[in-house]
Amino acid sequence: MDKNVQEERFMEVVKFTPPLYKQRYQFIKDLVGKYKPKKVADLGCADCTLLWMLKFCSCIEVLAGLDICENVMKEKMHRLYPLPGDYLQPAERSLTVTLHHGSVAHKDPCMLGFDLITCIELIEHLEESELEKFPEVVFGFMAPAMVVISTPNSEFNPLLPGVTSFRHPDHKFEWNQAEFQSWALNIARCYNYSVEFTGVGPPPTGMEDVGFCTQIGVFVRKYSQTSETAHFEKPTKAAYKTVFKAVYPSLKDEKYLQIAVVSEVVFTAEVIKRSLMDHLNSKHEEYTDGPVEIKSEFQHSKNCVSEDLEKLAVEKCMEPSVSGNVVYIPLTKIFSFPKVNQLCGTFEKFCKLIAGKVTLSSDGSAMVVNTEEENE
Amino acid sequence: ALQGQQPLPSQQSGHAQPQQPCLLPLLSAGELAGRGRQRGPPGAAKPEEFQISAGFQEMSLGDRGGRRRDFHDLGVNTRQAIEHVRESKTGSSGIMIRLSTNYFRLTSRPQWALYQYHIDYNPQMEARRLRSALLFQHEELIGRTHAFDGTILFLPKKLGNKVTEVFSRTRNGENVKITITLTNELPPTSPTCLQFYNIIFRRLLKIMNLQQIGRNYYNPSDPINIPNHRLMVWPGFTTSILQYEKSIMLCTDVSHKVLRSETVLDFMYNLYNQVEEQRFRDICTKELIGLIVLTKYNNKTYRVDDIDWDGNPKCTFKKADGSEISYIDYYKMQYNQDITDLNQPVLVSQPRRKRGSLMPGPAVLIPELCYLTGLTEKMRNDFNMMKDLSVHTRLTPEQRQREVGKLIDYIQKDDSVQRELRDWGLSFDSNLLSFTGRVVQAEKIHQAGRVFDYNPHFADWSKETRGAPLINAKPLDNWLLIYTRRNYDVANALLQNLFKVTPSMGIRMNKAIMIEVDDRTEAYLRVLQQNVTSDTNIVVCLLSSSRKDKYDAIKKYLCTDCPIPSQCVIARTLSKPQSIMAIATKIALQMNCKMGGELWSVEIPLKQLMVVGIDCYHDTVSGKRSIAGFVASLNQGMTRWFSRCVLQDRGQELVDGLKACLQTALRDWFKWNKYLPSRVMVYRDGVGDGQLKTLVNYEVPQLLDCLKSVGKDYNPRLSVIVVKKRVSTRFFAHSGGRPQNPPPGTVVDVEVTRPEWYDFFIVSQAVKSGSVAPTHYNVIYDSSGLKPDHVQRLTYKLCHMYYNWSGVIRVPAPCQYAHKLAFLVGQSIHREPNLSLSDRLYYL
Repeated sequence: MDKNVQEERFMEVVKFTPPLYKQRYQFIKDLVGKYKPKKVADLGCADCTLLWMLKFCSCIEVLAGLDICENVMKEKMHRLYPLPGDYLQPAERSLTVTLHHGSVAHKDPCMLGFDLITCIELIEHLEESELEKFPEVVFGFMAPAMVVISTPNSEFNPLLPGVTSFRHPDHKFEWNQAEFQSWALNIARCYNYSVEFTGVGPPPTGMEDVGFCTQIGVFVRKYSQTSETAHFEKPTKAAYKTVFKAVYPSLKDEKYLQIAVVSEVVFTAEVIKRSLMDHLNSKHEEYTDGPVEIKSEFQHSKNCVSEDLEKLAVEKCMEPSVSGNVVYIPLTKIFSFPKVNQLCGTFEKFCKLIAGKVTLSSDGSAMVVNTEEENE
Repeated sequence: ALQGQQPLPSQQSGHAQPQQPCLLPLLSAGELAGRGRQRGPPGAAKPEEFQISAGFQEMSLGDRGGRRRDFHDLGVNTRQAIEHVRESKTGSSGIMIRLSTNYFRLTSRPQWALYQYHIDYNPQMEARRLRSALLFQHEELIGRTHAFDGTILFLPKKLGNKVTEVFSRTRNGENVKITITLTNELPPTSPTCLQFYNIIFRRLLKIMNLQQIGRNYYNPSDPINIPNHRLMVWPGFTTSILQYEKSIMLCTDVSHKVLRSETVLDFMYNLYNQVEEQRFRDICTKELIGLIVLTKYNNKTYRVDDIDWDGNPKCTFKKADGSEISYIDYYKMQYNQDITDLNQPVLVSQPRRKRGSLMPGPAVLIPELCYLTGLTEKMRNDFNMMKDLSVHTRLTPEQRQREVGKLIDYIQKDDSVQRELRDWGLSFDSNLLSFTGRVVQAEKIHQAGRVFDYNPHFADWSKETRGAPLINAKPLDNWLLIYTRRNYDVANALLQNLFKVTPSMGIRMNKAIMIEVDDRTEAYLRVLQQNVTSDTNIVVCLLSSSRKDKYDAIKKYLCTDCPIPSQCVIARTLSKPQSIMAIATKIALQMNCKMGGELWSVEIPLKQLMVVGIDCYHDTVSGKRSIAGFVASLNQGMTRWFSRCVLQDRGQELVDGLKACLQTALRDWFKWNKYLPSRVMVYRDGVGDGQLKTLVNYEVPQLLDCLKSVGKDYNPRLSVIVVKKRVSTRFFAHSGGRPQNPPPGTVVDVEVTRPEWYDFFIVSQAVKSGSVAPTHYNVIYDSSGLKPDHVQRLTYKLCHMYYNWSGVIRVPAPCQYAHKLAFLVGQSIHREPNLSLSDRLYYL
């Protein structure tokens, strides 16, 4: 084959869409979507792009990042803060994001108990001594339910234009498929994990032997971990420095739940009041030539909630009622609104959450809303 | 309407997304930034903001995306052209008062300078990230403190040589020669340095975890909830660093961001349930257009410019890579956001600014994924809501001073902030700036031969002048009182009370022609058509609700088709027996002004002076039309005014209309006085941030031309004063230990003014609660030769002349009149009112 033609074909081949790094992140996102881990850590998280993508995954409650370079992490870490919207409508799930500065060659208890730990394009940056400690730290100590390790496949390098030795000057090595797989299988055996190999960036047709451009090993722990006992004898001394921590507002937090419930209750009550008043007012306007009728209308509603009848009225009908400048809305009615119901779960919880936050009728069965409008 | 195939939603090009390096399509940004430990020595500070912007110039004064607009009107040097204030622009009268203000001095090390370098790459490197990475391979040379935008490098230190050459290696093993050339050594006061300080300061705010929304920074962790209106208020700060009279200072004020805990879709559903179906789209469009929305998935704000009712989340658009994707799939994939309502329309936001040379297409937003922010006009008019809000947002001087101090405290206490400042050789004073201002004496109120003093502390004379005869009382010989059957009693009560209060004012009054009307717009109009004659003095309409459509219809008819003064009163305001007399008094005064009467005056020592007030109203709903109110005095006492307005269509220059107004005003003046004014003083309100240059270069020369065109020998002196109500500056007086509002009449023309302007502040009004806001006056043109003291005094006097308020107001009366007029036309009439009304304050 003519050399130029060959190159041209390669150029065609190596243009990955979407770009390879996105494919790697997508791979992790898909995995998260499939296994729904709650606690996820990214080792060598660099500028936190993967963490930023993962924070939108609603199954994750704990996200952690670790990197040896504090400044790279800090560069864009503000992306990991909650957004205004997260405060405006706190999510159901809780989410804590932390970033640690440290080395994967050191053990720190903050990395214990994770469901998924990702090491995307990390190992090839490790010095020999660090690479030696890496399996013990990640698989022996951290021992998450699942580990994903990705690294360049050196067999693919000849297909990449401009790559003469390594893909990046900081790479300490780049392995072929056999090298990576034997390293991975050895670890899996040692630490009682199973491993499967895959990758992103498929080889060109007819060259399948080359393998994926990025090779990936997915490790699954074969034993189940029995809560904290597993870490009983493990060191508890911190080796990492926490450089970032963000706790997202969540409805699991009583404070935010109460704000959400009270907001919903007060607003819904406002809406009921308004429609009730509009209804009364429109009655007004309809009967402009019969003021007597308007009076009777008022009379009626007044009777309905006059002192001794108030309770009866509230119990009998779930309907709100007007008395003078005040609207009574039965709590049972408010609790029946889907959003309120969904937020509180039980009527007892609902009562507890709004206690002291809204005005209730003397017997506590209805919410009281003032209709008095300011004259200005 | 827009089609399904939209240009990119602008989130596409947002920096929140991983960026693709331009030169190396194969290798990822992740690799470029590096995972693991390939980066240079630890502890190197990386510029945080610079990577995401296109350059210093772009981001220097604006916010994130970098808009070029100069919000601080830098580089407009008007003072140097005004000869008599070059030496001094300070006044002299009044008694001294010790003041402090929300400004903090920025100090730099002695001999401090900022070193600006130009960075060249050979071979050329395009991607900014790559340029940064290559340059900072030489951190040992450059140091850890730097700011780099890809081309220009700022350092706090001078490198050994003027030109330094270094070599870096790309990951492909390519050698790149980097040339670092010193281009500038900037003193602390240079404009570039000011831009630089602001960039650094924004970096600090980010370090302190304040969220940027628009131009300000907010603290979301401790919000104030106002559930009955679905509002949430975030406390925060507005900040800017500028060169002031003597030093560079940080001006910071408390800012509150009103957010709404409902999405645009929630809002739409709520509205849908409240209005008739066929009116829904119209009303919804009116309510939403112009509002700023905040997206759920990133921290960006957009202005709603249009609603595409034919669009929906199932529509597709073309992504950057050319592939087609639906909004549902896009938001699911990108942000894991589920769109549940597939039939909602979509919002359209036109980009405000250019990104480089590329003008991005409109952004398409999904209502379900957008939160509303800020207040709508309707909400602003909701008295209860504003009251509930002001409980939280209105701060006493003491509270305000404390909150402002908090920002400086944060700065002083945060280690990383301090380190950053120290590295640059900068620091902030920890105390508020304090200095001496002046309080000018209170004015005497003249009313039909009698002179009244008022308590300067309250700046109000309604009690003092109650029951006193007016300068010019117009009789109510022939007038209509229109009411609905329900308000029959109220109408009578109003009539009785007017009979009680008018005699002492000197108003002659006959019984009104009482007309009952059905509570429908058409009924009102029919009654007006049948009963209003050219002899009618005024029409009083008693409205049963504050429904705008009736009010608008009445005003429109009586201002254009049948030009007769009118007074609308909402029946509810008269419902309380204990206050009805006071309200009737106010109504009587207002009616008198509308019929051309005069109430009071203050002494105006300058003769042959015409004062002009201009203010603008921007109608964001109907076609973005702007309306300018133009009001000019007609007599020595400033008690009679000529009023006109300009309806400016898009693309039309406002000043053309203003010239015509000025010409007619001069003609009218001549009719009244039999001579022309020898001085014209224009108070120009409604000038936005960054528009000063246009005003100086375009509007002022046009006004001069206009004066010249009146007559060959006519050469009056002109002063143009820009009036600004929305300023961050606050003053605190320190009498009795606690910070208090400065008294009305406080004038400040030192320290916090700008050296390149002839400007001053006046606190003219008194406030019952909260902190008083001073008004900023900037004399941009002045051939009057008047001393600054006289201009200040005259300005203060004019704040006494607004007839709808028996007290001192925030701006000179003509500005407030102009505002009132523009507002009425913009909100209700939408057409130029009949010119036969122009000699009366019919719009009050």
